Amino acid sequence: MKRWPVVLLLCWPLSGLAQDGFDQVMRLLAAVPAVEGEFREEKQLAVLQQPLVASGRLYYRAPDFLRKQTLSPQPEDYEADGDWLTVETPAAGRRQFDLNGYPQLRPLVEAIRATQAGDRNTLERYYRVEFEGAPEAWSLRLTPLAVEAARYVSAIILRGRGARIASVETLEAGGDRSVMTLTPR
Amino acid sequence: MSLARQRWIPLLWLLAALASGWIVWTTPVVADLTLFAPRADPVAELLLDQLRSGPTTRLVLLGVDGGSEADRAAVSRRLAERLRPDGAFARVVNGAETLPEADLQALFARRYLLSPAVAPERFTAEGLRAGLQQRLAELQSPLGVFQKRWLAEDPTGELLGLLRLLQGGLREPAKRLGVWFSPDGARALLLVETRASGYDLKAQRAVVTTIRQAFAQAAAGTEARLILSGPGVLATLSEDRVRAQAEWLSGLSLAAVVLLLLLVYGSARALWLGALPMLSALLAGAAAVGLLFGQLYLITLAFSVTLLGETLDYPTYLFSHRRAGESVDDTLRQLWPTLRLCAATTALGCLAMLDSGFPGLSQLGVFTVAGVTAAAATTRWLLPVLVPPQWRPPRPTAVGDWADALLRPRPRLALAFGGCGLLVIFGLLLKAPPLWENDLAALSPVPRELLQTDQALRTALGAPEVGHLIAITAPDAETALQASEIVGAYLDRQQRAGALAGYDGAMRYLPSGETQRRRQAALPDAESLAANLDAALEGLSFKPGLFAPFLTAAAAARAAPPLRVEEVGDGLLGVRVRSLLTAGARGWTALLPLSGVRDAQALAAGLPQPNHARAYYLDLRAETNRLVAEFREAALPRLAWGGVLIAAVVGWGLRAWRPVVAALTPVLLALAFTVAALLALGERLSLFHLVSLLLVLGIGVDYGLFFSRPGADADLRRRALHALMVCCASALIVFAMLSTSALPALRAIGLTVSLGAAASFVAALIVARPLLNRMD
Repeated sequence: MKRWPVVLLLCWPLSGLAQDGFDQVMRLLAAVPAVEGEFREEKQLAVLQQPLVASGRLYYRAPDFLRKQTLSPQPEDYEADGDWLTVETPAAGRRQFDLNGYPQLRPLVEAIRATQAGDRNTLERYYRVEFEGAPEAWSLRLTPLAVEAARYVSAIILRGRGARIASVETLEAGGDRSVMTLTPR
Repeated sequence: MSLARQRWIPLLWLLAALASGWIVWTTPVVADLTLFAPRADPVAELLLDQLRSGPTTRLVLLGVDGGSEADRAAVSRRLAERLRPDGAFARVVNGAETLPEADLQALFARRYLLSPAVAPERFTAEGLRAGLQQRLAELQSPLGVFQKRWLAEDPTGELLGLLRLLQGGLREPAKRLGVWFSPDGARALLLVETRASGYDLKAQRAVVTTIRQAFAQAAAGTEARLILSGPGVLATLSEDRVRAQAEWLSGLSLAAVVLLLLLVYGSARALWLGALPMLSALLAGAAAVGLLFGQLYLITLAFSVTLLGETLDYPTYLFSHRRAGESVDDTLRQLWPTLRLCAATTALGCLAMLDSGFPGLSQLGVFTVAGVTAAAATTRWLLPVLVPPQWRPPRPTAVGDWADALLRPRPRLALAFGGCGLLVIFGLLLKAPPLWENDLAALSPVPRELLQTDQALRTALGAPEVGHLIAITAPDAETALQASEIVGAYLDRQQRAGALAGYDGAMRYLPSGETQRRRQAALPDAESLAANLDAALEGLSFKPGLFAPFLTAAAAARAAPPLRVEEVGDGLLGVRVRSLLTAGARGWTALLPLSGVRDAQALAAGLPQPNHARAYYLDLRAETNRLVAEFREAALPRLAWGGVLIAAVVGWGLRAWRPVVAALTPVLLALAFTVAALLALGERLSLFHLVSLLLVLGIGVDYGLFFSRPGADADLRRRALHALMVCCASALIVFAMLSTSALPALRAIGLTVSLGAAASFVAALIVARPLLNRMD
């Protein structure tokens, strides 16, 4: 029993180091005013024999504009600007949602947007955040806090180098999973 | 007077008062618009049914102001949670509710019968392939996470179409923190539908109390404030407001009148004696209406109380005419022919309203006739037995020399006055048609700021307004639904042409059995469907066997019996259907509320008339205004007939034409001056003005009769002047105070009667004697 405080003491500087790394990465990301990149997304779904592959462009502008423009296999446009999500698909046209009204949707947007913005407060409002690695090569594991989101998504793992997000892996509650890799232009 | 009489008259009165009181106590008072409805008018009945119990009247609109945004959202959630389990509410929505799983499952189970998209081409190989490709695209999208669950059973996406349809009924406000907010974020919004009608004031009062209590608990510890509106809430709030203001004003004027009477007669006994005839009139009038009609309209009650103001004058006539050396009974015997005429003229003036075809008008007539009769009888027979035979008010009622100066006949002034009056009458006739107020809203006692709150909440919530709608009546639900579908097809065409913005109806959510069977027939048999599906899946990467549940569900849907209105349940579907399709005493009524109507007349003209059903186009505002106008148009000629009857009875009472002219000319002039003054003040004449003019007619005739009493000596004339000055002064006090009210109804009554009483007094004083004296 007496050894526990010692173990805790030993752990303390370590966790401090991880926190330092997290804050450092957040600061690096926050300093980026805009990002323009290409993405390739591969979804592995239980209902399909082959993975679904999509590609397109990703735009970010500090502090809260994020646009995912799918070009192939069919055009789709998702644009999150502040509290508003605009969705444009060939089938349903253009629709706008207030993100505040969709507790299951907002965390999905913030996973990428708040990370790229280096907005730790927002991330921690929606997720339990686990940081690993160092500024040169890091990963963030986000576990949704709200039941509405946890019902669909069990975790989102972002990997990056410095101020750049390299990939976003989404683990769905039903076992499906998708990986989106990003390359800057 | 015999001792026996002294005993049995008060006893009789007491018994009558108790009996009347009991009848009044057991008679329900309804705040209802049916008093405007002529009997046997199908459109009016539908309309009033709508105004009384239509889905839009059962809405309560709620706003949460104050505090922080997070406070408002949290209060909205807690309030909704508290209200939902309460049986008084059919639904409580604030945007936070996701469709309950049970509702979702119920819709999903019936998707092939309820979805409007179900058609044969959707289940061919090509149709299925298009559906599957659509699903694949959804899987691709970030939103696919949420839709995957239904894929295997619903590859054509019928559930999504159904949900979109159900959402379409109400334009949703924007959400913040998961609940509805006004666009500027300053107010969280909730919508409640009560089970009780909006005009069931008792139930609505309970609803308001429940909501306020729930809010008090939900908002504990925050700065949040509750804003309430909706038809039922407005009715109860405005009833409270009117009552409070009427009580305050009548309390104040009562005090003033008491003071006046005390000053004039110096007797407390005069006070309570003076109140007895009016009290008897109210009891008798209300009891008579209760006996004959079984219910009492609130507006009738208010109008009748106004009209019976005249009966306060009866005891005043007695007090001012008391002379030393004669008993109370003697004085009354002398006054009786005139007093009798006063009562008879008022009663006859209202007699013509008895069989008007409008229950409200008939009630007003019965109330007044019974009330005035009771008041006159009370004055004549009850008052003398309640006081010692020689009782007189202690203050001498003989007035000074100025009275004689006032009373001296001035024929030239009378001629000028009469000439003026004729000019005014002529002018009024030329200015036809007079400015009538037909808008029911202007008659509404609802204070303006409450209406503004209501409008603001309504706009923010996108709640349907009570406006244009199509009502379809049919012997059974199936016929009503089929007819609704025919009308719906017509409305679709009109909507494409831009004639209206949209419409709603039960058939959108529950198609007729015929339509459901047509949808069943659109589903191929099991083998063809399986073959079509196999062909459709060719080249797509869905796992083999994935859609087996779909094949099972389609086969089950083909054999399922159509969903009927009795089976829609209590969920979202049930609430929606039942609010638009209702069973009544004469079959079923389906409602199709319209929005954004461009040209109501054209839309109504082209309305198809389906077999075995009737479709009516209702413009609620126009229809209610029409009813009010018809009500007034029915009232006016009856008032004219009342006038003829009054002249006849005065003629019969006075037995010479000249006194009749002397008694009735002043009131004619007074009415003309009053109407002219009201128009000059910019008033639009409403029913409240009209009824007030009836009261002016009643007291004006009385003034004329008393100022022109044939055979009156100088002393009697002085006493008449005294009595009339007291009467006129009390009327002025009471009604001038009412005219300061901000409520349109109270103001109209106050203004008209105070103008009318003053005009009647002046006209009677100036014109009556010269007209009579020419005979001498």
